[in-house]
Amino acid sequence: LMSSAGGTLIRQAVKEAKPVFSATSEDARRRVLNLYRAWFRQLPYIIREYDVPLTLPMCRRKLRENFEKYRQVNDIRVIDLLVAKGQMELVETAHMWKQKTHVMDYFKQTVTPKPTDFLGKFFDGKEP
Amino acid sequence: TAAPTNILSALGTIAPHRCYGHGVEMTRHMLNERVLLVLRLFDKINPDKLTLESQFAKDLGLDSLDHVELIMAVEDEFGFEIPDQDAERLRSPEDIVQYLCDKLDVFD
Repeated sequence: LMSSAGGTLIRQAVKEAKPVFSATSEDARRRVLNLYRAWFRQLPYIIREYDVPLTLPMCRRKLRENFEKYRQVNDIRVIDLLVAKGQMELVETAHMWKQKTHVMDYFKQTVTPKPTDFLGKFFDGKEP
Repeated sequence: TAAPTNILSALGTIAPHRCYGHGVEMTRHMLNERVLLVLRLFDKINPDKLTLESQFAKDLGLDSLDHVELIMAVEDEFGFEIPDQDAERLRSPEDIVQYLCDKLDVFD
């Protein structure tokens, strides 16, 4: 009896996942667009306050790139979590709790890209 | 004799007064020109394909983030915020001009 009651409870919990913030995908879409708007409006102030060697078009392209990275995500809860992380980054950047180096990190100028073709991987010493 | 308490009354010549200005008289033609100018300056739009009836998503090939940037450019030009529910219904320059006419009380 106890096991059957537990079994039905588990089955009910698995059917619907509890939402993180938004209930519908329309809601989630609105959150994403508002985050984009907030970042877009903050960009000129970021450049001025951090005295960073970037131009506004570079920053806008990088912002667009970071949003396009997650274009294929369709799960509403994952979208909510990504928006929450983006919002946290925006708050930290806008309040100047970061430093210039953290802003430049978005551009990954010192990261060498990993090799993708066979010869590149061979020279790196990686086994196929 | 009482000493003057502030510099303006001491000078005696400059009396502070308010000036109220009316905004520019806007016509629908002027709104058309302004909106089309903002859109032509937007770098993701091809100015040759731009007309008043062209749809942003279908004819000009803009995605939703480009649409957001565009609406922000229009907000900056006209100086007031356009809320999300209204912004997502504005799908062509004609829609934008009609919306601005409604908000700015332009009737011709």
